[in-house]
Amino acid sequence: MLLTVDRINKSYSSFPNPPVQVLHDVSFSLAPGQALGLVGESGSGKSTIAKCLMALAAPESGSILYDGMDVSKARGAELLRFRREVQMVFQDPYGSLNPRMSVEELIGEGLLVHKLEPTAARRRERVAEIMRTVGLNPDDMVRFPRSFSGGQRQRIAIARALVIGPRILVCDEPVAALDVSVQAQVINLLRDMQRKLGLAIVFIAHDLAVVRHLCDSIVVLHKGRVVEAGPRADIFERPREAYTQALLAAVPVPDPEIGRARRERRHVLT
Amino acid sequence: MFPSKTQKPLVEVRGLSVDMPLAGGKDGLRIVDNIDFSIAVGERVALVGESGSGKSVTARAVMRLDPVARLSGKIDFEGRDLLTLSEKEMRHYRGSSIAMVFQDPMSFLDPLMTIGDQVAETLRIRGIGRVEARKRALSVLDELGVDRAAERLGSYPHEFSGGMRQRVVLAMALVGEPKLLIADEPTTALDVRVQDQVLDLLDDVSTRRGLAVLFITHDLGVVAGFAERVMVMYSGRIVEDGDVHAVFKDPKHPYTRGLIRAVPRIDQDLEELYAIPGAPPAPMARPAGCPFNPRCSDAFDRCRAELPAVLPVTGERVACHLHDRKGA
Amino acid sequence: MTTVSAMSGAPRRRRLALSPFDTAVIVLVCVLLLAAVFGPFFAPDSIYTSDIANSLMPPSAANWFGTDDQGRDVFWRLVAGARTTLLSSFLVVTLYSLIGVTIATVAAAGPRWLDEALMRLTDIGLALPSMIVALGFAAAMGPSLKSAIIAMAITGWPTTARLLRGIMRQTMESQFVAGAQVLGVSRWRLMTKHVLPNSLDVLIVKWAGDIGNTVLVLASLSFIGVGAQPPSPEWGATIAGARGYVSTAWWTVVMPGAAVAITSIAFGLLGDIIQVRRDPSLGGN
Repeated sequence: MLLTVDRINKSYSSFPNPPVQVLHDVSFSLAPGQALGLVGESGSGKSTIAKCLMALAAPESGSILYDGMDVSKARGAELLRFRREVQMVFQDPYGSLNPRMSVEELIGEGLLVHKLEPTAARRRERVAEIMRTVGLNPDDMVRFPRSFSGGQRQRIAIARALVIGPRILVCDEPVAALDVSVQAQVINLLRDMQRKLGLAIVFIAHDLAVVRHLCDSIVVLHKGRVVEAGPRADIFERPREAYTQALLAAVPVPDPEIGRARRERRHVLT
Repeated sequence: MFPSKTQKPLVEVRGLSVDMPLAGGKDGLRIVDNIDFSIAVGERVALVGESGSGKSVTARAVMRLDPVARLSGKIDFEGRDLLTLSEKEMRHYRGSSIAMVFQDPMSFLDPLMTIGDQVAETLRIRGIGRVEARKRALSVLDELGVDRAAERLGSYPHEFSGGMRQRVVLAMALVGEPKLLIADEPTTALDVRVQDQVLDLLDDVSTRRGLAVLFITHDLGVVAGFAERVMVMYSGRIVEDGDVHAVFKDPKHPYTRGLIRAVPRIDQDLEELYAIPGAPPAPMARPAGCPFNPRCSDAFDRCRAELPAVLPVTGERVACHLHDRKGA
Repeated sequence: MTTVSAMSGAPRRRRLALSPFDTAVIVLVCVLLLAAVFGPFFAPDSIYTSDIANSLMPPSAANWFGTDDQGRDVFWRLVAGARTTLLSSFLVVTLYSLIGVTIATVAAAGPRWLDEALMRLTDIGLALPSMIVALGFAAAMGPSLKSAIIAMAITGWPTTARLLRGIMRQTMESQFVAGAQVLGVSRWRLMTKHVLPNSLDVLIVKWAGDIGNTVLVLASLSFIGVGAQPPSPEWGATIAGARGYVSTAWWTVVMPGAAVAITSIAFGLLGDIIQVRRDPSLGGN
């Protein structure tokens, strides 16, 4: 396994309220090249998991092992290697890019920080190359984030994460803030990248339909606990837990026949 | 314009345009451009579109909520043009004939006022006595499935969950017994299970009361499950308007078709999502001709030159040159 | 995969129209700055020499603001003094802003104990009346304009440090800062490249208001004798030199006093104007 999350617990305290436990013994693992979906409603703890996965927060107990290293204890050179190999795309395409840096600086920052390309000219070439890969025009690298639409910003964020060649990409609700027609572009891009680069993806989302489309295996979270986990077909076609079933039943389907029928059935039941 | 099957229209909108003034500039920015639509008594209509399509602005225009917006055209509500009313007359319509609920219930609830008082307030303003107003508030909260409503009249908004708050806001909207409810993305901020409950509730209330609903959303799944008719907006115009079954089965406008194919499905595995290239234009940068032409795979010369008119196509209304050519 | 280009028409930056009053304030500030830069070149040499025969003359066509006890033209002495006053104030504000930015950055970036320690130090700095502390410093170093500037520079930083540290903490909550951390940037780069540039806006507003305030404090220090010394045309020193003539020749005191008040108020108002223009919630940017 590339990444193993083993029984992590985490609580937040906000004085004067008593501490609230947001994660209870959460475990799952990720194989190389696998696309794993973490789904849950608000309060399920999925964003906290993302923070712990990215070593931005440490669990109180349990461990997160990446390629043999304990993520929450990594320091110095070891942490830097982790940062290079595990990258992240955030939800908000408007807040996740430093507004005062040009696209070239933004995408090239990882190359600079990890000293992957010593010269500015080589860095620029690599930036242009990755921009083409994610469907951006390299001529736009002199521009600043404010002149891009939400979907384009998400492409910049993906390019910024991928340019240093990570093995895992953690995506925290990367399409939730995008319009439907643009959302599909970004989903397709992530899928292409995953296949082309053999990338492992942890895809955190509340939208089960998006997760079904993108992920091979799924972890369902509810109030900080893993409710059910398994391959895509099991979760979507044969959910075992009542919570998963209820969640799936509530997702609207863009087909009036099915939507109506489901609603009518429910009315008969109640 | 779209003939409703059974009833006379409750609202008839003709040539509605909305211009927003720009800071410093003289010319306004045209957000909604010359749209026509009607809603029959008790009809559930969805208005779908992406950000910047003008769907929310259209909804707010019907309520005349933006004091700075310049509205032109006609909005007939039971035979009276709302755009000719004075602000005082319009206030009479808001809440009693037309009510509105929004995405964020918390911003419409006064944190320092009890739920009971807030729901009753709509009635109190209209001169209905305390006891009577409270009684009716209670019955509406009951109808909307607020558990132990009588006990909770004295509760404050922060004691309620998101879904319950949205019910309270709905109660505030419905207590005045409106004929039209405008719902602007009321379930977008909710978790799916709560969204589902609120939609069921709206469905029930609308059927029971014969309440017409104009439901603004970007979620095609919600449209399919809730609406009888769907209007698709793109860049300030209605590009397709028809029965929800017909539109989903056989979308006539390339934008509608692309949109439906772009939605991932919970009930099937799709190999590849269809992605409409590009992004919706900003209102200040609309292309010439059909606003969708730069993203449309079927566009031809006429699309780049001429704005398509909204024309009837097999029981629907569609604004697309492809259909005009076939018809001619 | 299709290539998409950046939007051609990025939304134009919106500007708020200037009211006549705002325009007047900006013109006034420009006049003051021009006077400070070029005034001394035009001032007649006679303002540095005495001409007792012409002393304490009331305002007239020849001497717009009258003359002082040494027979020097009050108007031209004010113009010459503008440079000393404004330049010193700029220097003071620049120096203490640098100190404030450094302390704020270290506090925001450092471990919690260091943050706590620096903020307690800032609290002490805020609690002490800076005028009194500056007075003590200046007195200890010997009264001169230089001591007044140094004294004010080392006592003026706490408000800047407190304000900026708060803003930086807020900026550190942004997603793009988390993004930079995830990318593995060093603490130094995180602060200087990501946090600081996105927090400094507020100082631009504060800067103008601070200049106004400093002009006032500096004149006060000179007036009570620990700043610039007569016969320097610095405004506070000028008032101090003329205070014996309030009842007999009001212009020798009122004119420099008005100069201090107007300059101080003008820069304060300039701060407000910039603030309105930069606050997105008020329609600026």
